[in-house]
Amino acid sequence: MARARHPKKEIEAAIRYAEASGWRVAVGGSHAWGKLYCPYNDAECRCGEFCITSIWSTPRNPGNYARKLRRVVDNCAARKRLANSVGGASDLE
Amino acid sequence: MEYEFTLSFKLAASEADTDTLIERLGAAGCDDALVGIGQSRRIALNFTREASSAQDAIVSALRDVRKAIPDARLVEAGPDLVGLTDIAELVGVTRQNMRKLSLAYADSFPVPVHSGSVALWHLSHVLRWLSDRGRYEIESPIMEVARVTMQINLVKEAALIEQRVRREVRDLVA
Repeated sequence: MARARHPKKEIEAAIRYAEASGWRVAVGGSHAWGKLYCPYNDAECRCGEFCITSIWSTPRNPGNYARKLRRVVDNCAARKRLANSVGGASDLE
Repeated sequence: MEYEFTLSFKLAASEADTDTLIERLGAAGCDDALVGIGQSRRIALNFTREASSAQDAIVSALRDVRKAIPDARLVEAGPDLVGLTDIAELVGVTRQNMRKLSLAYADSFPVPVHSGSVALWHLSHVLRWLSDRGRYEIESPIMEVARVTMQINLVKEAALIEQRVRREVRDLVA
């Protein structure tokens, strides 16, 4: 694996979680460590603002921050759509 | 107490590139926010901020962003305007459950701010209703946050008021 690791263990784990869902990682910055890019970020996608999410090098509360990163991945509308079309059951009428 | 909220901003066309803006946000103390740059000319910050009140948390966050990006204009403070799906997610029930409640108690359920192809409520009003009915434990930080985000959005919108119209209609719409 070529990319640099995030210095905070729980954030590195959240980044790997995103990668496992197809998100791309770009490393670079000073206060910022890098960025996460949603694989579905196209015209049809509705999640919008967090389809590209910046990652801090030293967030104030790494635990909270790692949770936020995971939630962005979980909340991705395109990912939910795929999950629903595979799983069948959707609570949207 | 920890307060979670999102501030979304429109950037001026003349603004520096986003990497520079993110570094400035980091330097200004926004390292307790997740920064989203998925839409062009926009920037969104999802904060989890430790403060003595929701108002302190949100106002200090607005100050930090103003310091980092003076020309950024607030689009919306959230969560405030929400649909049934958003409310259900925030409260931790299904959307159907929420919809059932809104129909079964149509007389007392808060009136939406807008109803068209989508219906929108002020989250603060719905949380208050749920909490008053004692049906759901609503945690106090989110109640506080929803009240303050609504106030901030109202203050922002109030800048659009035309005084001549206001004088004429304020008693009619009260």
